[in-house]
Formats: sequence, C-alpha cells, structure tokens
Amino acid sequence: MASNPTSPLENTILRSKIRENARDQRLECRAKAKDSLRIGLGQVKKEVAALESLDTKDVIGLAGRIKRRKHATSEDLCRLSLAFLQGNDNINAFAAIPGAIQVLVKELTGPHIQQQINAVECLCNLSLGEAHVSEKIASLAGSYMVTYLDGKEERLKRSCLWTLANILATCDKAGKILLQMQLVPKCWRLFNDSSGCQEDAGTCLFLIATHCLHHVSAEDRRYIADNLHSKNPKDSGSKYFMYIVHQLDIVGQDHELGAQQAECLLHFFEETLSTPVDSLGLIYGVRVMANLMALGDPKLIGRLADPQNFINALNQLFALRSSQLHSDLIRLLKNFLLLNILDSKLLLDSLNIYA
Amino acid sequence: MDSEAAPSEFLSTEQILKILSETPAGFIKATDPPSPILPPFKKLGVLVEIDEIVGIQDKPAKISDSRDKEQSYSCAECRRMLPTAHLLDLHITEQHDFYFAASVDRGDKPMFSCFLEECTTKFHTPRQRKDHCIIVHKFPANYRFDQGNEKPKEKRHPKHKPNSMEVDELPAETKSFPYIKAFSFGHQTHRTFYTRKDHKAGETLDDVQTMKDAINDILD
Repeated sequence: MASNPTSPLENTILRSKIRENARDQRLECRAKAKDSLRIGLGQVKKEVAALESLDTKDVIGLAGRIKRRKHATSEDLCRLSLAFLQGNDNINAFAAIPGAIQVLVKELTGPHIQQQINAVECLCNLSLGEAHVSEKIASLAGSYMVTYLDGKEERLKRSCLWTLANILATCDKAGKILLQMQLVPKCWRLFNDSSGCQEDAGTCLFLIATHCLHHVSAEDRRYIADNLHSKNPKDSGSKYFMYIVHQLDIVGQDHELGAQQAECLLHFFEETLSTPVDSLGLIYGVRVMANLMALGDPKLIGRLADPQNFINALNQLFALRSSQLHSDLIRLLKNFLLLNILDSKLLLDSLNIYA
Repeated sequence: MDSEAAPSEFLSTEQILKILSETPAGFIKATDPPSPILPPFKKLGVLVEIDEIVGIQDKPAKISDSRDKEQSYSCAECRRMLPTAHLLDLHITEQHDFYFAASVDRGDKPMFSCFLEECTTKFHTPRQRKDHCIIVHKFPANYRFDQGNEKPKEKRHPKHKPNSMEVDELPAETKSFPYIKAFSFGHQTHRTFYTRKDHKAGETLDDVQTMKDAINDILD
C-alpha cells in the first residue's frame, strides 16, 4: 500500500526547503566562481607554476611601449596585471614612470567594455601596492571607477569595487579623495541592490567605516539614514549592516529616524539574535538598539516596546554569557528603563542575568 | 536539584540595580570601548588568463560592438555611448534639448547638473560645473564624460577682436529692434500707430502717389 499522501502544509515546507537549498547552492557557486579570480600579492608564483616570470625590467619595457603608443592592447594589460601580482617591486617600478598610469586610465575610459574590464583589473592588481600607488590610482582613475558603479556591466562594477576596496584598506588620503567622489551613496545603493555586488559594496562600506570614518560627510550619513530601510537582512553582505550603521553614527541625535527606518533596524536585530555570539551583526546590533532607545521615543522601538518581547530578547542575549556583550546589554536595559514604559521593579524581576 | 541551584546563578534585582546605577545612560559612540576584533581584510588582486583575453580579442567585432551597446547607454540622436543613465540624461538635455538651450540663454536659473547623480548642486555654465567637480569632487580636469566641452554654439561665434574690451555682445537677430506690441491700456489697439509691417507703409505711400498721378491725369 502506498504511504499516506503528504499534507499541503508539508508540501509547502518541503518546497521552500528545496528552494532555500537551491538558493544557497547558487550563492556558494557564485562565490566560488568569484573567488577563483582573486589572488594575493606574490601568491601567484606559488599557485601558478607555469606562469612566466616578469621582473621590473619587463614592466619598465611594457610601460615604455604603452606610453609611446599611447595605447595598451589587451595583451599588454594582461601582462602588466600578471607582473603586478608577482611582487611589489614591479608595482613600484610601474608607478614611478610618469604617464604610465594615464595610459591605463585612457583604456579604462575607452568605448569598449572588455578593454575597460581589462584596464580596471590591471588597476586592481596595481592597487595591491603601497599607499603612494593607491593615492595615484584614486586621483587619476577614482572618478571613473566611481562612475562605473552606476553602469550595467556586472564584472566591471565588481572589479571597480575590488580596486576601491584595496585602495580604502591601504591609504587614508586616497580614501578621502574617493569619499569626495560620493563613494558612500554609490556603495550604499549597490549594497541594497539585488545585483551580485552587494557583498563587495558591503566590504567597501565596512572599510570606509573602519579606516576613513572621519572623512565621511554629514550628507553621506544623511543619505544612509534616509535609505536605511532598503536593505533586507536576507541579502548577502548584511553581516556588515549593523557595523556600518553604528560606526557612521546613523542612530544618533544628528539624524531624525522615521518609523520605517526604525522598523528595518528592529528587523535586522531580530535576525541577528540567532547568529553566533561573536558575530559583527550581533555585537553592533545591540549597540544600535541601545542607541535607538536612547532617542527616547517609545514609538520607534516597535515590538520591543512590549515588555515581554523585550525581556525575552534580553534574556536570550544574557544567556550567551558573552563578556563582549555584557556592558552594552546593561546600557540597552538602562536606556529602556528610561523610556518609562513599565515599572522597573517588575521588569528586573523577570530578567535572568548570569552572575 | 538543578531548579534549586539555578536562581543562585542569576543576579538579584538589587545587584542589577547596583550595576545599572554605575552604568551611564545614552548613546554608545563609535569610539567607545570595548572594540571587538574586526574580521581581517586581505587585499586581493585579479588572476587574469592571457588565453582568455586573446580569445575575447579574436571574437568578431560585431559581437563586441553589440556587447558594448548592450552594456552602455546610447543616445538615439547622435549614437554617443555613455556609461551611466545619469550621464546620458545630461547629454540629451544639454546637447539635444532646445527648451534647455533656451532656458540656458535666458540665464535666470542654474541649469547644469553635477556629473555625480547624488550631488544636487546646479550651475549656470558648464565651466562652473567643471570647476565644482574639480574642486569639490576631485575630478580630473580632463574628465572624459564632460558634456560642456563639445558645445558647438561657442565655436560658431568666434571673437573677431581678441584685444577689444569685454562687452555683452548681443546676437545679430536681437540687435535689430524687435516687434513691440502696442500697448492699449484699455483702449482698442487700432488707435495706436501700426508698427508691425513697416514695408506696408511704403506700399500705402505708393498708392497715394498713384492716386495723385491719377488725379493729375484726370485734371489734365
């Protein structure tokens, strides 16, 4: 006899599980495909045995040739890319030749997409160099790379984001130049977009929040505050969300937050409750919530205004017994009590804070 | 057993109150300790394969052209290709929109938008915009997608006297007196002088002359 037919509810659960698995697999494949393109400085020699060795002489020769012709062919760009991957000496030798980077910029701004991609990948490898090289790239090619973030070609956008990330991680002055080119709003838009650049845009914003925080303008912060709600916790790169929001001081006295934005923050916070204790999202999620409560408006905290929900969330977090979280959780509790939603004695009696 | 031991694990209300009294209220700043350890970022390059690139080069020009068209924004009027929708928008309005050109000529409000979509500043002239982009946004002086460089209007009217004093020169059409509609101030317009068609006055005069000639002929 055939087994019992499955109920519609079970069917739905099964289907959604299959869909979820397929989605995860797709994301994994995409990440692998992207990662296969990435490699660190000097690593190429170990990993690609058959690679021809290019030294500073070759680089100087190539740079001289592209300068004379005022044009670099795809092959020239490819050779230069490989040479830059092989060592910092090659990068320094190229950067020291006046007018050589300008040829790369010329190819970057040419009419053919493939040539633009080749040029930006070459610049990406060049950005593995030291601060003075990053500064040169930012001032000569930064405006074009930032412009291309609004374009259609995915690979070009991704390569631009990789280059920008390398620059942001290297040099504070170059980071300042890029931020003046409105990099923050452009990255935030890509971070929220459903395109494949969310993770890379998130990385750039993470690096801005870590290395160039003092260069972020009030307008940039305002832009993020206004467009806070467009990010979904299920999107890739959302692990950086709470860190960026906290470090850029989005929830503070300087910005008025609407109900929609506060709702988005709550949604993210609820999602992070199930993440590992040392995750960036959880640590900074608690801080963002503490700041949201410090704004003093009970309407903004939505479901957490219900004492039972708040107590449950807090007990769940205290149960993690994390020393990193403890002081922030106490601050969160204090800010909640100052909202005067409930008698503090009643609330404290229901809390389970480990000694 | 466990249920009996559990309460001792937790802080009492008094203990929590004591901790709360020692804790400051308000915002947690980005610089406030403790700073957790951040995930490390490793700078990475791109591994390109020469074979792949040479393979792409060998592709017929038609395929690469269609890819270029697909992946960029092109102007239907002049076929110029631009990398972003905003730059194409600026190109169309500044190069092909007569209403925009008229508004610029009138000069009562700034019309030229910044090259960056997120920047809302507008300018009276492309030169002012260029200066803004160089100073504020650190753009290169020879920004490739600058629309202001290719305005043909300026080329059409070169200055004949480079050493002459700077004066607001009016275009040739505006130098001649324009047709001014006669004011009526509540009365019928036909009471005023008819200034519209001067050449007709000549015609009328001719008619008078012919009439005089005709009268003379009759009298003779």
